[in-house]
Amino acid sequence: MMNTKEPIIEFRDVTFYYPISETPALQNINLKIYEGEYVAILGLNGAGKTTLQLCLNGVIPNMIMGELTGDVFIKGLNTRDYPTRELAKIVGMVFDNPEFQLTQTSVAEEVALGLENLGTSPHDMEEIIGEVLQTVGLSGLKDRSPFELSGGQQQRLAIASALAMHPEIFVMDEPTSNVDPVGKEEIIAVAAKLNQEKHMTVILAEHEVEVVAQYADHVIVIDKGKIILDGTPQQVFNQIDVLAKCGLRTPQVTEFFNQINQSKKLGIKELPIKIDEAESLMLNQFEKK
Amino acid sequence: MEEVLITCDNLSHVYSGGVVAVKEVNLKIRRGELIGIIGQNGSGKTTLVKHFNGLLKPTYGKVIIKGEETTNKRVQELSRSVGYVFQNPNHQLFAKTVTAELEFGPRNLGLSEEEVHERVEKAIEFFNLDTYRDQHPYRISFPLRKLVGMASIYTMRPDVFILDEPTTGQDNITTRIVYQLIRRLRDEGSTVICVAHDMILLAEVVERMIVMRDSVLIADTDPKTVFSDRKLMSSTHLYPPQITELSHRLKDKNFINTYALSIDEMQKVTDQQLQVKRSK
Amino acid sequence: MRGAVLPISMVPGNSVVHKIAPLPKLLWAVGVLIISFSTRNPAILGAMIVLGLFLASISNIWSSFLKVMGILFPIMVIAIFLQSIAPAFPQPWTPIAQLGPFTIYQEGIYSGLTLFERTFSMTIFAMVFIMTTHPSDLFVSLEKIGMPYVINFILTVTLQLIPILQREFATVLSAQKSRGMKGTGFGAVLPSMVPVFVGAIERVQQMSISLESRAFGSTGKKTSYRNVVMGVKDYVIMVVGLLASAVTLYWILVDKSLDWSRTMHFSPTLSVILVITAALIFVTFIVISVSKIIKT
Repeated sequence: MMNTKEPIIEFRDVTFYYPISETPALQNINLKIYEGEYVAILGLNGAGKTTLQLCLNGVIPNMIMGELTGDVFIKGLNTRDYPTRELAKIVGMVFDNPEFQLTQTSVAEEVALGLENLGTSPHDMEEIIGEVLQTVGLSGLKDRSPFELSGGQQQRLAIASALAMHPEIFVMDEPTSNVDPVGKEEIIAVAAKLNQEKHMTVILAEHEVEVVAQYADHVIVIDKGKIILDGTPQQVFNQIDVLAKCGLRTPQVTEFFNQINQSKKLGIKELPIKIDEAESLMLNQFEKK
Repeated sequence: MEEVLITCDNLSHVYSGGVVAVKEVNLKIRRGELIGIIGQNGSGKTTLVKHFNGLLKPTYGKVIIKGEETTNKRVQELSRSVGYVFQNPNHQLFAKTVTAELEFGPRNLGLSEEEVHERVEKAIEFFNLDTYRDQHPYRISFPLRKLVGMASIYTMRPDVFILDEPTTGQDNITTRIVYQLIRRLRDEGSTVICVAHDMILLAEVVERMIVMRDSVLIADTDPKTVFSDRKLMSSTHLYPPQITELSHRLKDKNFINTYALSIDEMQKVTDQQLQVKRSK
Repeated sequence: MRGAVLPISMVPGNSVVHKIAPLPKLLWAVGVLIISFSTRNPAILGAMIVLGLFLASISNIWSSFLKVMGILFPIMVIAIFLQSIAPAFPQPWTPIAQLGPFTIYQEGIYSGLTLFERTFSMTIFAMVFIMTTHPSDLFVSLEKIGMPYVINFILTVTLQLIPILQREFATVLSAQKSRGMKGTGFGAVLPSMVPVFVGAIERVQQMSISLESRAFGSTGKKTSYRNVVMGVKDYVIMVVGLLASAVTLYWILVDKSLDWSRTMHFSPTLSVILVITAALIFVTFIVISVSKIIKT
């Protein structure tokens, strides 16, 4: 990642132990993320994805105690010095279970909650609510109870609620793990929109590697609290053996090309990671012969 | 033909508000089948499977489990024949240790202490839980807890296992383990019904697929037929595994002549195709 | 199932009663409550019941209202039976009829009837109030007259949590039954409470992180999205309610002739019919409920 600008997020030698735990949840993390990137974090359950993300808005170390060494900087601010509620204006965050994030009696009030906390005037609030509900595609459901929505809609509401505070960084911790395929599609589409149209820095933890390969432009692999790989999806998914050691798989098309590359000695240096790439490579490779 | 374990005869279910959740479903489930039930949330698939162990009773029509109608049977009685593993293991587990958790089911069946013990040991071996036997179910990781949830039903030795989203929220390693366990359950003679959105599970593990849409059963056939029917898939908002999608695209361009459900299958298909081309 | 709601919750609507601001309505409900406890005059209580039923009928909440009343009415009505054979009333009692082993007393009928009317009138007003008022509007109004925001927030979250926990409990119970859970009753249900509570704790922890991530607890000035404006109409209703309650209360306290306990007479036939009907309603209710529980 060649970049001369200042990173928007920086981890410097971060190690973190949860209370009464003897193994570190994060170990010597050094990481730079730049403005406008779409970052995917891959790793097994318990590898440290959530812990890493909780460092991004200061939940660690401000709300979850434990032992943190090293520093996390968000736009140059050290997260040790700013409570989560202050960082909320810079970092929006949604979690894996949409229902655990909702508290209000209507969709509009749910979005308003964060704005009320910031002291936004009711007039501006109305405008922002309209705008963010439009972004996540929930415009028609303003007066519905959040608990009557589908899982996908609930998660998009959670996204809208965080979005209302106009953060520059958007962090999502396995946002699709509790919703059905339609919901999943909707959420992934919203995440892509935030990155591409709103130019936000998106950080997404996700199990489905095909989705990651399609959208992300920066992939981080963690295993047992350490960063194992950090690069473009192209670089990361080509490291099939390293990923396998971390218990991860590559996109199916990459795996397939890896197999035929070996069995047929095709000599492909860069395995395709997206389906479009795989399709054209397939046609090129074999039609010629 | 193997013995029929579950029969739905014109099954309809209407909820108290008048919502028709399942409409006129007819199907037979036999011993040793590996079935996937798919459909969007709200398609009626959960309502349907809840009839398989008596959690719900038909509004119209009948459900027959091992020759007996479910209407006047309690779930507790039916649990001998049909085991239901809930999606969220936290809903199922409450005991102080993994072992105690596994003992709960067989004890309820009124088995002797030796029999209970023997079943628990078998389950610990089958699910590879030896390291965790004395731990509190809430202290172990979520993927393992999900295995304990399955094991707690395994000790009841039902003829049919219903697994609700067995791989959701799981990482790659546990997902692979679950695939293996599902195949092994079947090899031991059980029927396994997976309610799932996991397309790789459906493509690579399952042998029969039941598709629900808007309360109606719209397909009941093998996975290949379902995955090759793009219209059917997109009408229920389901997408095939990436490798299947690739085979679709290449087939559209007449590069290959059949669909592949897995990477291995795709390789075979490609090999065959190249040989055909070379021999021409 | 998603979207479980409390049996007693707001029924959305656009009626005259819905449009009244929460505080005037609350004042009326409290007024009725105080008067109900201050008098045993069947006519005054009866009048409040009639007024309450009238309000319920113009607020288009009948179906939910009747559903709740279907449960509460049989429980309230049993007071007539119990009181008639053992009045909570100073002796002497005047026996008026014999029903098997039970002696029915004149004072008992009076006492039972008024006790029933008392609970009935309070319940009607409480129901009309709850079913026509959005909880958030109520909380915002209470906040305006000095209730701390945190309490408002906790109440809102709790209201949301109750139906969710009910649903969780139902799921857990299904899971336990699927594992052959033996027996019914409290002992058998107890293990099911463990997952529900563990889940609730996890939920609250996650919720607090999620809320903090949305600047909850910021020190600056807080604004409110929902706003309840009290119109002239609302103030009029409030003043009328206040006056009506005060006047009635004064009348009750001053006019001793409102106590009809010794002057109102019931014929033995009417008493017996009343007592038997009350008992029947109650027994039918119990039988239906128990058979429902056994079936599951």
